[in-house]
Amino acid sequence: MRKLWIVFRKEVIDNLRDRRTLLTVLVFGPLFGPILYVGMMNVMANKQLANLNQPLKLPVQGALYAPNLVDYLKQHNTDIQPAPHDPEQAVKDGSADVVLVIPKDYAAALLAGKPAVVQLVMDQSKDSAQKNINRARDLLQNYSQEIAALRLLARGVDPRAVAPLAVENLDISTPQSRAVLILGFVPYFFLFAAIIGAFYLAIDVTAGERERGSLEPLLTTAVSRGTLIRGKLAAVTLFSAVSLGLDVIALSWSQGLIPAAKLNIIVNFGWHPALAAFLLTAPFCLLIAALLTVVASFTRSYKEAQTWLSFIFILPMIPVFALIMFPAEPSLWMMLVPALSQDVLVTSVIKGAALSGVFVAISVISTFALGLLLAWLAAWLYRREKVLG
Amino acid sequence: MIAVRNISKQFGAVQALHSVDFTAADGRITGLLGPNGAGKSTTLRIISTVLKPDSGTVMVDNGDVLADSMGARLRLGVLPHASGLYPRLTAIENIRYYGELNGLKGAALVKRINELVALLEMQEFAGRPAKGYSQGQRIKVALARVLVHRPRNVVLDEPTNGLDVMATRALRAIIRRVRDQGHCVLFSSHVMQEVAALCDDIIIIAHGRIVARGTPDEIRQHTGEADLEEAFVKAVGESGVTP
Repeated sequence: MRKLWIVFRKEVIDNLRDRRTLLTVLVFGPLFGPILYVGMMNVMANKQLANLNQPLKLPVQGALYAPNLVDYLKQHNTDIQPAPHDPEQAVKDGSADVVLVIPKDYAAALLAGKPAVVQLVMDQSKDSAQKNINRARDLLQNYSQEIAALRLLARGVDPRAVAPLAVENLDISTPQSRAVLILGFVPYFFLFAAIIGAFYLAIDVTAGERERGSLEPLLTTAVSRGTLIRGKLAAVTLFSAVSLGLDVIALSWSQGLIPAAKLNIIVNFGWHPALAAFLLTAPFCLLIAALLTVVASFTRSYKEAQTWLSFIFILPMIPVFALIMFPAEPSLWMMLVPALSQDVLVTSVIKGAALSGVFVAISVISTFALGLLLAWLAAWLYRREKVLG
Repeated sequence: MIAVRNISKQFGAVQALHSVDFTAADGRITGLLGPNGAGKSTTLRIISTVLKPDSGTVMVDNGDVLADSMGARLRLGVLPHASGLYPRLTAIENIRYYGELNGLKGAALVKRINELVALLEMQEFAGRPAKGYSQGQRIKVALARVLVHRPRNVVLDEPTNGLDVMATRALRAIIRRVRDQGHCVLFSSHVMQEVAALCDDIIIIAHGRIVARGTPDEIRQHTGEADLEEAFVKAVGESGVTP
């Protein structure tokens, strides 16, 4: 135990003196997520607001044929613009999202009680125009219904008679659960911080040690190889956990920089959820430290290790992205998959949903067990004679 | 005392050692001499417990390295062929790490490190990170690391490789001093002059077998060559090659 502590302490002190490792563990790993996150949130909030509050810019051709309609539009936050010479061309080249065309016989048809034709010129395939197209269509629909109601009233009919269905949209999402849509990639940041925290250390204590030629003399000291690798693994795990911890703290603190009110969400990531997220992700630190160490143990040089370990980077992200693409309710089998189980549980924490004790236990135990298995594998690799290269 | 007893070792299809058997006595410098690839490093690695022999064993002060490798390591100080330092640690920290791993601690360790710093004349650079050390400075730290736990037996694998004349002379002086304190010193080299200048006993190894052994004089007599280099060439069996 004393020897394990000696190895652990040496690796920690040694690597604290490496500027690249330090920068990665203390700055890049923990801050990458929060900075990206705060930046994206602000861009998103500004964009959403801009669309909703700004008047709808609507070029209208033949505005003089329908003065009442035009007045109605103006009263409903529409900025009537002069019509382009060729509406179709204007939509095609993007100078207008949608153009309203009112034909000459509009007023006559309306007077005669026949459907008065108006045209909305649009390009349905244009994603960015969708919002404005819908706004224009809704406004025309509402105007049409108002006139219909007035006509029915004039004939002594209750307008409600022609509205047999009244569809109400009851949105049961809470501002907190809506936050998950936006915070969905936060668990990814945590996993990323844990991996990058372990990255350089795992290389330094294995391939780095071999490349420097300090491995063989080390193996002649009165320490078992098992103790050596356990001490090294403990140091790698610590750095991974530090990076994760700082990331969680930075993200929790950065909540103040999110325009949550503008986005109509409540971001619930104070100290308690942050602590829970850290504890739920912490077993992953051991797992990733062991995995990186095992892979780095096969390599002969720093460079080779870096190449291989970059691939490992992607591996734990596969379940995370799968979950983003195929959203599913948390289930038992997910808890058996490292990275996925942390992702699911931390998402629940952010959502403010209750955690299942069984799920937490299975996630922690399975991730931990796999970590120990890999640690054992690393120790086995070091007991082989081939380790000398 | 290091007693190598009939060790054999095979790597894949290559038989690296064939029943190698010799003894390196206390108070003497024993040179393991042989061309590159003869099996010197493999022999020393088996002695230092990082490799296991396929058959045979090694006794270090009458302790079997296979039965008790931890005990053997405490009685051994090993300078392997590749003996890198930790570049971000100072000389003192490098030495302390090995001292601690070999069971030293507290005031005794500090005292021992100070002794070594004085013995190997490292005062000037001992507090600096090892990154900028010269080859000579590096070998001194590596040697201090070997000696920190006062091993009875010292094993050095080609220690003078890459050293300049002054550093080599300083190293020889240190090796002699260690010998004079009664330690057993076993070191390998492929340089004849090196072995001739330093060794009390010589073991010549070629193709994984011991081909000659004895004091320098005995080897000259045995091979019938007055010049030790000629004796070496004759012993390893490549007499057709003339320098």
